[in-house]
Amino acid sequence: MIPFELVEPRTLREAASLLASGDPAVRPLAGGTAVMLMMKMGVLRPARLVSLRAVERRCSEIREADGELRLGAMVTLSALERSPIVKNLAPVIVRASRTLSNVRVRNVATVGGHLAHADPHMDLPPVLIALGASVTTVDPEGGRTIPLETLYAGYLETALRSNELIAEVSVPVQGVRRAAYLKCTTRSADDWPALGVAVVLDTEGDAVREARIVVSAATDTPTRLSAAEEALRGARADEKILRRAGEAAAAAANVVGDEHGSAAYKRELLRVYLARAVKQALASKG
Amino acid sequence: MSVGSKTIRFTLNGEAVGAEVPPHWNLVELLQNRFGLYGARESCGQGLCGCCTALVDGRAVSGCLYLAALADGTRVETVEQPAAGGGLDAVQKAFIECGAFQCGFCTPGFVLMSRKLLDENPDPTEDDIRHYLSGNLCRCATYPEIIEAVKLAARLRKKRDATADKRR
Repeated sequence: MIPFELVEPRTLREAASLLASGDPAVRPLAGGTAVMLMMKMGVLRPARLVSLRAVERRCSEIREADGELRLGAMVTLSALERSPIVKNLAPVIVRASRTLSNVRVRNVATVGGHLAHADPHMDLPPVLIALGASVTTVDPEGGRTIPLETLYAGYLETALRSNELIAEVSVPVQGVRRAAYLKCTTRSADDWPALGVAVVLDTEGDAVREARIVVSAATDTPTRLSAAEEALRGARADEKILRRAGEAAAAAANVVGDEHGSAAYKRELLRVYLARAVKQALASKG
Repeated sequence: MSVGSKTIRFTLNGEAVGAEVPPHWNLVELLQNRFGLYGARESCGQGLCGCCTALVDGRAVSGCLYLAALADGTRVETVEQPAAGGGLDAVQKAFIECGAFQCGFCTPGFVLMSRKLLDENPDPTEDDIRHYLSGNLCRCATYPEIIEAVKLAARLRKKRDATADKRR
């Protein structure tokens, strides 16, 4: 890795100001696991890194407010995994966290970094989009709220400006909604997935009232599958309906191949995993 | 000393230390180049294999993905940290007893991760062990022996705790 300057501001606002020049060689550093990898590969060659480690303590807090689960951007993935608040308000997040990378990476990587990195293979973006989450940002002048569904602009690209940092993630509580996240890894258990599918269902008896379904890893950005959601709306999720939803998803999603599987293989995975995820969600208590 | 080097102070295996570190060094470089500690070693360089495991403020991290400068003010522990009371701890004894290594390159990482696992979950099932250690690779493939070693270490720790309770 090439030398760079490391600065540690005390507030998020100050950090955003330090990023305000728009110079692509000045980048934020949260947990740093992805940034370190990119620097080692020579993809990222920063002149200056703005570490967020020393910013306000509340950025590392998990809390409940206004019927929502609020996650500070600097909350580590292992804190998420162990949090009784998260387990209570959105158990699907805890289940998804347990199979996310490995223990050491989860101990260091942060929620904000995980979302801002915009690698489509990440596990939480599909889960949080399916739950209807949004992010609150901070920039030198103020900030804004962005639905997570609209955060992703492309492979490793977000709608965040260079001087804008995620401060907090707001997640509507899961409540009676049933949810599941399934992924397929083609090499080892903790490998990057070839496909991820998150499903959140509003149910009435054994019928699906509303479904939110998001695919990741097989597309350039985590993507809502509205055709599949439509196929499930108001229906009992029997084999016929699930097959129809899977076909609709595979036809509509812009699936791309990578080293984890070809596009054709991933389309087949999507058909199979979508049905499995819906079944798992229906079988779960929350 | 290269441009932008920074003096950091931290606790290393129980001892207060300071070091001059270039900002682009990772924790493995700090431990090897400044303190001659080679237990944490970089292998995959991507946080996947666990050979570079160290504990920062009690949490296991991949030293290859952890900036050395960020160790400032923390408590760092490596496999070189002597067990309480000296000698080898239950996990190390169990690894030897079960022959849970061949070349030994991955062993420091497996020992530290196994200790953390048993701290968090004193009575892990085989599934728990496999799951927790899925981010550690042994290229000699001594996985069956490693799993037996962790189970044995769990029993040794319980025995130790029971003895300590009796003495109390």
